[in-house]
Amino acid sequence: MIVLAQGDSGPFIRWDWIFSHLDEVWDKVFEHLVLTFIALAAGMAISLVLTVVALRYRRSYGPITWVTGALYTIPSLALFAFLVPITGFSVLTAEIGLVSYTLLILVRNTVAGIDGVPADITEAAIAMGYDRRRMFWEIELPLALPVIIAGLRIAAVTTVGLVTVTALIGQGGVGFFILRGLGRFFSTEIVLGTALSVILAVAIDGALIALERALTPWAKTRERVA
Amino acid sequence: MITLTAVTKTYPGASAPAVTGLSLTVPEGEIAVLVGPSGCGKTTTLKMINRLIEPTSGVIAIDGRNVLDLDAKELRRGIGYVIQQIGLFPHRTIAENIATVPRLLGWDNARIEARIDELIDIVHLEPEMRNRYPRELSGGQRQRVGVARALAADPPVMLMDEPFGAVDPIIRARLQDQFLELQAELRKTIVMVTHDIDEAIRLGDRVAILNVGGILEQYEPPADMLAEPANDFVADFLGSDRGLKRLGLIPVASIDLDGGPIVAPSASPADAMAAMAEHGTDWFAVGEGGRLDGWAHGAALDGVNSSVGDLPLRRYRSRIGVGATLKEALDVVLSSRTRFAAVFDGENYLGMLTADRISQEIVR
Repeated sequence: MIVLAQGDSGPFIRWDWIFSHLDEVWDKVFEHLVLTFIALAAGMAISLVLTVVALRYRRSYGPITWVTGALYTIPSLALFAFLVPITGFSVLTAEIGLVSYTLLILVRNTVAGIDGVPADITEAAIAMGYDRRRMFWEIELPLALPVIIAGLRIAAVTTVGLVTVTALIGQGGVGFFILRGLGRFFSTEIVLGTALSVILAVAIDGALIALERALTPWAKTRERVA
Repeated sequence: MITLTAVTKTYPGASAPAVTGLSLTVPEGEIAVLVGPSGCGKTTTLKMINRLIEPTSGVIAIDGRNVLDLDAKELRRGIGYVIQQIGLFPHRTIAENIATVPRLLGWDNARIEARIDELIDIVHLEPEMRNRYPRELSGGQRQRVGVARALAADPPVMLMDEPFGAVDPIIRARLQDQFLELQAELRKTIVMVTHDIDEAIRLGDRVAILNVGGILEQYEPPADMLAEPANDFVADFLGSDRGLKRLGLIPVASIDLDGGPIVAPSASPADAMAAMAEHGTDWFAVGEGGRLDGWAHGAALDGVNSSVGDLPLRRYRSRIGVGATLKEALDVVLSSRTRFAAVFDGENYLGMLTADRISQEIVR
C-alpha cells in the first residue's frame, strides 16, 4: 500500500471522491451482502443435508470431512480460474467457490453440535416417544444452535473476505473497488474496499451474535446464572 | 400389571448375559424396586420394558400385551419415564417440558394448558416456575418437573431409574415422602431402579434383589424379605441391621400398647406403689381417659396421704406420634431416661412403649 501510495500523486484518501460515488458504494455493499448471504444460506442448507447423512450413516462422516476439507484447501484464485471455463464470469461461479469454502466449517460444527447434545436428553426424548426425525428437528438441532452459529460466524467472516476475491471474475462486491484501485494506482479505492470489507465482516458477525441470543434464550439465562 | 417371563438379555460381544432368565410380576398399582450391585442388570431390565433395549429372549407384557407387538413410540408415550439426570430439555420452559408427551399425542392447547397447571400443583412447584428454563431451577425442583413430565399424559405405568439419585439427602427424603403420598393417590404401576437398599425398602411394595448377571435372588415385600432373607447374598445385601430396618417398616399404630405405670389423679399413694411394682419402675405417670397429666418419682409419695393428683407433676417429655415407625419409637425409648416412650394420637394418650415391647416385634 505504501508502495502504491508513492505512485499516486493525490492525497492518500480523497473523501470527495467517496462522497461523489456513494451510489456505487451502496450498490457494491449490497452486492457483497447478497453474495455473502447466498453463500451462507446455500452452505448451511448443504451442510445440514451432509450432517443428516453423516449422523445417519456414521461411516460417511470420514469421507464427507475429507472432501469438504479438500475443497477448503484449494486456493480460491485457482478454484475460480478452474470454474470460469465451465460456468463463466457469473454469480454461479462465485457462489460455487464461496459455498465450497463454508462446507467444512459448517458440517464440522453442526455434527459436533448435534453430537454434543447430552445423552440423557436424547434418551429421555426417545423414552417419551419421539421418533428420530422429530427429535432431530425439535430437540437436537435447537440444542446444537450455539455450536452451529459459532461455525456460521467463522464461515461468515471467511466468506466476506473471499467475496472480495470474486472481483477477479466480475463479481466481488466491495472487492471491485480494491481491484479497480489497484488497476489505476488509486489508494482511496483500495482503502475504501478494504475498510468496507472489514466493516461488513464485523457487522455480520455482530448480527449473528444477536441472532444467537434471540434464538437461544435458554442459553442466555445460563450465562446469567453462571 | 407388568409381567416379565424368562427374560434374557445378552449384549453383542458379551460373554455372559446381562439379565438371565428373569421372571417377575408387578401387580397393578404397586411399586416394584429393582436393587442390586452394579452389573446386576437392573437398568437393562428397566429399559427393556419400554424397549429402549430389546430382550434377547423371553416375554415382557403390560396388561397381557407383549411390548414387542406394540408400536415402540405408542408404547413409550403410555409409559412415564424418570431418570437420574432428569433429562429435561434445556431449550424448553418448564411448562413446555411438562407438555412434551401431550404434544406428541396431539392434545389441543386448552387441554394441555389445564394439565400443566394441574401437574405444577400436584408436584408442589410454584406457578411462577411455568416460564422458567430448567437451568434456573434447583436440583429438587428439576426432579419434580421430571416427575410432572412423566405423569403428564397420565400413563398407567411409570419407569424410574434412580429418580432421586441427583438430589442431596435432605431434599431426597422429602421428595420420597411426597412421591409416596402422590402414589397413594395415583396408584400407578411403577418399576424403579436403585442401588440404595434403604430407598428400596422405603419405597417398594415389593423389592427384587438382583445378583450380577441379572439373576433374581428374591422378590418379596420388604418386610417379609427382612424377616426371612432367601440366602446369604440377600442377607448381606440387606445389611447387618436388618432387624432395625424392619422396625422402620412397622407403624406404631399397628401394635398393642401397654398403659404403663399410670394411675388416675384420684388414685391413692398405695395404687401408685402397686403400678410401679408391676412395671418395675421408680416413677409413675398420672392421667386418665386419653390424658397424660405428667409423672412423679416414687420418692415423692413419702408421707403423702391425699390422692396423687395433688402432687406436683413433671411433664412427660419422651413422646412419639402414633404415625411414627417402631424404629423412630425405639430411638425415643433409648433416649429416654425412663426407657418408656409415651404414644400419642394428636393430644390423645394411647399408652407406653418399651424396648422389650419393640423387640418382641423383631423376634416374632
